[in-house]
Amino acid sequence: MRLSDRYTGLFLVGLGSLSAYGGWLLPPVPGQPVGPNVFPLVIGTGLAICGLMIAFGIGHSFEEEEELIPLEPGQQIVVRSRFVEGIRALLPPALLLFYVLAVDRLGFIITAGLIVLATSTALGARLKLAIPLMLLAPVGIHLIFAKMLRVPLPAGLLPMPW
Amino acid sequence: MLQTLIEAIRLVSAPEVIIAMLLASIYGLVVGSLPGLSATMATALLVPVTFYLSPIAAIATIVAASSMAIFSGDIPGALLRIPGTPASAAYADEAYAMTRKGEAELALGAGVWFSAVGGIAGTLSLMVLAPPLAEIALSFSTFEYFWLAFLGLMCATLVARSSPVKAIAAMFLGLLVSCVGIENPGGVPRFTFGMTDLLGGIEPIPALVGVFAVAQVMRAMLTPEPPPLPKRKFGSIMAGQWRLTKLYHWQMTRGNIVGIIIGVLPGAGADMAAWVSYAMSKRFSKTPEKFGTGHVEGLVEAGASNNASIASGWVPSLLFGIPGDTIAAIAIGVLYMKGLNPGPTLFTEKASSMYAIYLMFIIANILMIPLGIIMIRMAVHVLKAPRSSVMPVIMLCCAVGSFAIGNNLFGVITVATFGVIGYIMEENGYPVAAMVLGIVMGTMVEQAFVTSLIKSDGSILPFFERPISAVLAACTIAAFAWPLFVWVRRKFMIRKGSTQTA
Repeated sequence: MRLSDRYTGLFLVGLGSLSAYGGWLLPPVPGQPVGPNVFPLVIGTGLAICGLMIAFGIGHSFEEEEELIPLEPGQQIVVRSRFVEGIRALLPPALLLFYVLAVDRLGFIITAGLIVLATSTALGARLKLAIPLMLLAPVGIHLIFAKMLRVPLPAGLLPMPW
Repeated sequence: MLQTLIEAIRLVSAPEVIIAMLLASIYGLVVGSLPGLSATMATALLVPVTFYLSPIAAIATIVAASSMAIFSGDIPGALLRIPGTPASAAYADEAYAMTRKGEAELALGAGVWFSAVGGIAGTLSLMVLAPPLAEIALSFSTFEYFWLAFLGLMCATLVARSSPVKAIAAMFLGLLVSCVGIENPGGVPRFTFGMTDLLGGIEPIPALVGVFAVAQVMRAMLTPEPPPLPKRKFGSIMAGQWRLTKLYHWQMTRGNIVGIIIGVLPGAGADMAAWVSYAMSKRFSKTPEKFGTGHVEGLVEAGASNNASIASGWVPSLLFGIPGDTIAAIAIGVLYMKGLNPGPTLFTEKASSMYAIYLMFIIANILMIPLGIIMIRMAVHVLKAPRSSVMPVIMLCCAVGSFAIGNNLFGVITVATFGVIGYIMEENGYPVAAMVLGIVMGTMVEQAFVTSLIKSDGSILPFFERPISAVLAACTIAAFAWPLFVWVRRKFMIRKGSTQTA
């Protein structure tokens, strides 16, 4: 998801000004000239200045073009639309949010199994690989974290025997 | 002195520590060798595990995993031309050229041997430099701490091979993230938007895991799978290394020294050490034309340099709590967690723990030679693991690890959010390492800044009055002005060039 420098720069200007304003609203420490308000004010201003410079393309000449590794003869590039690309990229964070929402109800093993299945098939694994992985990886992780390190992972619908 | 040394040996030889170190070494070697999984990510995913270990065992895992991962990043660099960690990127082309010439053994052997030598040199520098610097650091006031931390942040922006303006913006973004919560001079909720989960601030470790691990899984979703490794049998790996050591002893020493200096600088770490040393090696070589065609000289110098910086990077971490790079930033988090709060007094109050850290570094670097050789021989099999089986496990580790830090699902949300932030930043040329250092050092910078301002009654002048703080201020301003200078000079040269042609 490559955006133009103008957009990211202007976003930073907005974010910087908002945080400077937010900092300015904070109450100072009684009897002191400075308090929790100074730092956000300084940072926000700095961020806004940087954002302006980026939007105007200052410093762009320092950026190195990304080196592309030449493709091997057997390899081929899969061409996807921007929309599909965006959905694919957002899959991992979406799965983590799914974990947050589902883990207490479904339990760790089931939620983790679903995450593994989704990630591996999205990366092109065949079911021959994805299904054993879905069954084994959650149990392995559960063994390490819940059994050995005593992290309270929710049992949910499928408690483990240990 | 002898008493503390014996105590340190006792601490390190505990069975728990030895097992933790061995397992962490294997883990570091495997994760570091997988393309796309960096040494920082390996270390960050290890943090939740360290919660449940004794202090020395926890530090042992960090030391072992980070040293091993930095070396094993050379393996896919040499075999596939895909550096396993950014610190190997400087010489991945060279190593791959050697592999194509049929000298894969020599390239990988040089990686393992000179990494170990570099690591030991770095450890020695840590032992020699840290105690006297601790003496000086005892007299530091908040002014010096402010400049030192700020200098570290500025160095982090210089390291990035991207636009310095974007790097500084990324640093400010990190500082802004560190503003969230009630841990500020007034103790008032700041930027929490009424959410109780944000009152405690944003933890650096979930942010790190998000930026380095989740963002990497996101990138894997869009990039093609790396090419499969051609099957090959390796000859003797260590053969010829002694000859290289004698032939290039000067390059090796220079690499070690440069690595140590860069490591000691706050904010600059293994990546920068490798780039600088490789460039230096080419510059001073008698045969610079051979560079890029599979010449081992640059490998020797840069390999010796990046591992030296790993150990010496602990100097600013232990003394001031200012990380040398992102791995050191994680180490600092672990130190705080384990009650070994960084600071100059650490060397007097917890001397045996310090000696234990030195010992662990030396052991890890000696272990690197046999384990590294085994890893190189097994690399053909490890690198066969398809991404579609590695990435799901990484996802689970992200989820469980970030939950384990506070037994709180908010950590998982933080990881997901920072995954998206890290991905967008990286795609658009904003270096994430600068942001991470900003997050880690934010609270400290602010505290030093505000306390200094209160002491000086709001005046800026006292920031420059004390001698050491004046020197540090000058360095910081120089680091700030350097990109500006380069930019102006480049503009000037272009103008001169165009008038000449006209």
